[in-house]
Amino acid sequence: MLKMTHLSKVYRTEVVETYALRDFNIDVKEGEFVAVTGPSGSGKTTFLTIAGLLETFTGGTYHLDNVEVSKLDDNARSRIRNEKIGFIFQAFNLIPDLNVFDNVEVPLRYRGMKAAERKQRIMDALERVGLASRAKHYPAELSGGQQQRVAIARALAGSPRLLLADEPTGNLDTQMARSVLELLEDIHREGATIVMVTHDPELAARAQRNVHIIDGQVVDLAEDPRFHTHAHTAEANS
Amino acid sequence: MNQLAPIIATLRRHKVAAFLIGMEIALACAVLCNACFMVVSRIQAMQVHSGVDESSLAVVTLTGFDPAQASDLNARILDGLRRIPGVQSASVVNAVPFGQPAGNAGISLDPDGKHRAAVPHFYVGSPGAMEALGVKLVEGRRFSADDFHPMNSFVPDSPASVVVTRTLADHLWPDGKSLGKMFYVDRLSFRVIGVVEHLSRPTAGEEGPQSFDWSVLAAGTPGAKFAGSYLLRADPAQLSRVLREAKEAVATVAPDAVLDEENSQSISDLRTAYFRQDKAMAGMLVGIIVGMLMVTALGIVGLASFWVQQRRRQIGIRRAIGATRGDILRYFQTENFLIVSGGIAVGMVLAFFLNVMLMQRYEMPRMPFFYLPVGALALWSLGQLSVLAPALRAAATPPVVAMRSS
Amino acid sequence: MFGYYFDLAIRSLRRNPVLTALMVLAIAVGIGASMTTLTVLTLLSGDPIPSRSGVLYYPQVDPDTSKDDSREPTDVLDYPSAVDMWRAKRADRQTLLVETGMKTMAPQSTARPVMAPTLVTTADFFPMFAVPFRYGHGWSADDDERRARVAVISAELNNKLFGDVDSTGKTLRVRDVDFTIVGVLDHWRPRPQFYTVRGGRMAAGDTASYYQRPQDVFMPFFTGLDVGRGTFGVYNCWQLPDDFTKLETSACNWVTLWAELDTSAKAHDYARFVADYAAQQKAMGRFSHAGNTRMRNLMQWLSFNRVVPADVSLQAWLAFAFLAICLFNTVGLLLAKFMRRSGEIGVRRALGATRGGIFMQCLVEAGVIGLVGGVGGLLLTLLGLWLVRQQPAAYADLAHLDPAMFLVTFGLSIAAAMLAGILPAYRASRVAPGLQLKTL
Repeated sequence: MLKMTHLSKVYRTEVVETYALRDFNIDVKEGEFVAVTGPSGSGKTTFLTIAGLLETFTGGTYHLDNVEVSKLDDNARSRIRNEKIGFIFQAFNLIPDLNVFDNVEVPLRYRGMKAAERKQRIMDALERVGLASRAKHYPAELSGGQQQRVAIARALAGSPRLLLADEPTGNLDTQMARSVLELLEDIHREGATIVMVTHDPELAARAQRNVHIIDGQVVDLAEDPRFHTHAHTAEANS
Repeated sequence: MNQLAPIIATLRRHKVAAFLIGMEIALACAVLCNACFMVVSRIQAMQVHSGVDESSLAVVTLTGFDPAQASDLNARILDGLRRIPGVQSASVVNAVPFGQPAGNAGISLDPDGKHRAAVPHFYVGSPGAMEALGVKLVEGRRFSADDFHPMNSFVPDSPASVVVTRTLADHLWPDGKSLGKMFYVDRLSFRVIGVVEHLSRPTAGEEGPQSFDWSVLAAGTPGAKFAGSYLLRADPAQLSRVLREAKEAVATVAPDAVLDEENSQSISDLRTAYFRQDKAMAGMLVGIIVGMLMVTALGIVGLASFWVQQRRRQIGIRRAIGATRGDILRYFQTENFLIVSGGIAVGMVLAFFLNVMLMQRYEMPRMPFFYLPVGALALWSLGQLSVLAPALRAAATPPVVAMRSS
Repeated sequence: MFGYYFDLAIRSLRRNPVLTALMVLAIAVGIGASMTTLTVLTLLSGDPIPSRSGVLYYPQVDPDTSKDDSREPTDVLDYPSAVDMWRAKRADRQTLLVETGMKTMAPQSTARPVMAPTLVTTADFFPMFAVPFRYGHGWSADDDERRARVAVISAELNNKLFGDVDSTGKTLRVRDVDFTIVGVLDHWRPRPQFYTVRGGRMAAGDTASYYQRPQDVFMPFFTGLDVGRGTFGVYNCWQLPDDFTKLETSACNWVTLWAELDTSAKAHDYARFVADYAAQQKAMGRFSHAGNTRMRNLMQWLSFNRVVPADVSLQAWLAFAFLAICLFNTVGLLLAKFMRRSGEIGVRRALGATRGGIFMQCLVEAGVIGLVGGVGGLLLTLLGLWLVRQQPAAYADLAHLDPAMFLVTFGLSIAAAMLAGILPAYRASRVAPGLQLKTL
């Protein structure tokens, strides 16, 4: 589903070159639930933005659904984001001027869907996250957990095959975080591929597979003695 | 001014917005300078000295009478007009300032007419008209009884004694010796017996602004070819009543004639009507200027408010590390001053070229240099005034916003 | 998608009512000023008689012996030249005309005598210039020759004297001579009153008087010269006339000649005829020079005379400069507005909006501002034209908004706003797709 080979990302300024990712390799199979962990500044978010086609990369290859994306122009990338990828952001990123219904509608609009089908999908997605009754509410009128569930509904409405989540529970309290996570697990069970960036080990433990990034490179946890204990704990938990 | 470097650095990062405001200022500067110049020119044109006692004078004009009866008509009408209480004087004239012109003719200083010297307007007045007009004699003498000749052309019979204006005399005889000199229109001849300070022609001349005062006043005896227009002099307070009664009197005395309403008014009213178009144009220009300054000011307010809001956190950080309210205020004021100055620099060049274009297309005079600094000063003030409210809001930002995440 | 963008634009504009009002106001005043002046300008600079302007010509010879070939000929003709060329009948139609004013009344009417603006002209005047009649008709060439006492009057004079009735057959008394009314014109207001235009080059741009209403009384040329003797003014004289009531033999220019030539070949022949006439007059010793004859067509003649008042075109220039300032203002404000939304735009991009989609969304928003600004601009244009109508100029009563200019107002407004929106929309479309609502 998602395969990066020898991928690199360099930020250049007038003075220095900074490698955000270096010789980065990852292969996420269709239907996997992968958690990406790592310390701040390790390149997790860069990886996610490249995976989500929000940014271009400097070197290497990236195949998404067997398509080499570096060859694609901006419009094609927009179309792939719209049709294949769903995003769940830490900061929810709902559009404050739009009510819940209209927020969920945004990606469907860009897909050029008929009004009736849009409505059906939006209501299904809101039903799914338990917010059908709040369709007319504005983001400001909702709690953080509700807002994140709207964001998930927005990601779900387009039936994406790949769901990218960036610290989806980062701004939520424990109980809300749990319900959001359960929702993600449900979605995964229904066949979606999920890649989730988090620094929360407990959350990472719920994923099928953990990928650790340090200094812009994927580190195999099993072979790195520093993480043995942690890895065992993770295995024991799953 | 120790803030200058960071301000310039910030502006470089907002090139487009700064450029837009700058261009708006530049265009406004170009239009402002030229429009102000046009307004002032119009107002100056409206100040023209007619040289006559406008507030004491009115004219009554008749048309459509039988020329054969004109001599009789003149006598009857003058008599009727003089009977109106308050009339100080009534006389026959061929034209009045700001009224219908009667005779513009090209004159020459040689009898053969080889060299056209000027095209003045020829006024003709019956006895008493010159005194009634109130023109100020600066040289020579007034008309005496011998000077009045009958009219068989558009002027009295030659050689006609005439009074000319100072500007015309100076144009014709730059050495200043004009008394006793002769000039000619074809076979008609004229002798200058006096010079008056001012007597504007009815309508602007074709030889530049100074030719508005190129008039000749001749002495004519009323007759078949000199009838129909009557000059009335009365106390300014009584003039409108006198004019009303004069119109009634004329209708009784000469029932067959047609009163030309448009040319039967006080000279002040004729003047107002004559300049109404200039006044309307000046009004329109002032409207454009005000509208333009308003829009420019609102644009500055809008963009400055946006910048203040955008940099709220940055301002908070500055405040937290010790910037005073005054520092923040001055920051935005300096920023505005820099942008407006850039706009003015371009605007002055634009103003110059706009003036050149107007000179070519509309025969407008060259704009005096001082309009540029005046325009610049106006726009600097406008900019500072407009930015004040947003800058004060910025200065009021509490330092604590630095601690809040955006 | 357009409907969606439109909906988003409305939401966005309602969210910042003050900023929106500022932009709408800027567009509205700019459009109001430009459309007011543009309406007046188009009213005054158009073709006064589109169906016929291509075939109407203004022949000129120069009888002035004080000039030479290096100068333009005088703007109107002396009597002998005008009548000679008219009598030659070398054009499809030709007409002589002189403007004057004469005391006029109707014995059957109680209205007081008036000084009626009068045109003495020949029979072809009416068909040549497509003059509309409400009642009756013009007169014949025969009426011209036998100096018939017939007259055509304007609808306005007819209303004043008789009321709105068919007054043909009634008597009109002009300077104690009785004329039979043979025709009453329908409403007719060519702009400018092209057939009497002359002297524009000397007017220093003050040409508003070219837009006066046509005359009230029209009478056969030779009849009119007899009856109106002494009332005619001259354009200029190169020798002082002995007697201003005998202009026919004077050295003065005062008669206008118009020719209708239906093909360019005929126009070419007529130009040669005019040149030949001048050469012949020079050979006879009447003219001193014959090389500066002219034959401009109607539109060339109007443009030679710069008929559009300088103030009017100056106002239009200024108004458009003002509009440009308003647009710069709008560009700045739109830029601020769109960049403030860059977070939202980033999210939309992440959710699959293309650059083109964002560009269109912003452009539609600018267009909506233009549309609303257009409504304001229309109201201000109506106000502006009302102000123009209060002016003393001869064209003041013409200043009305026609349907075409009504549409132009909206078109210009939306186009202007969208033009102003291009740069901000482009910048907005370059916002990177983003995961975070970052501040700028």
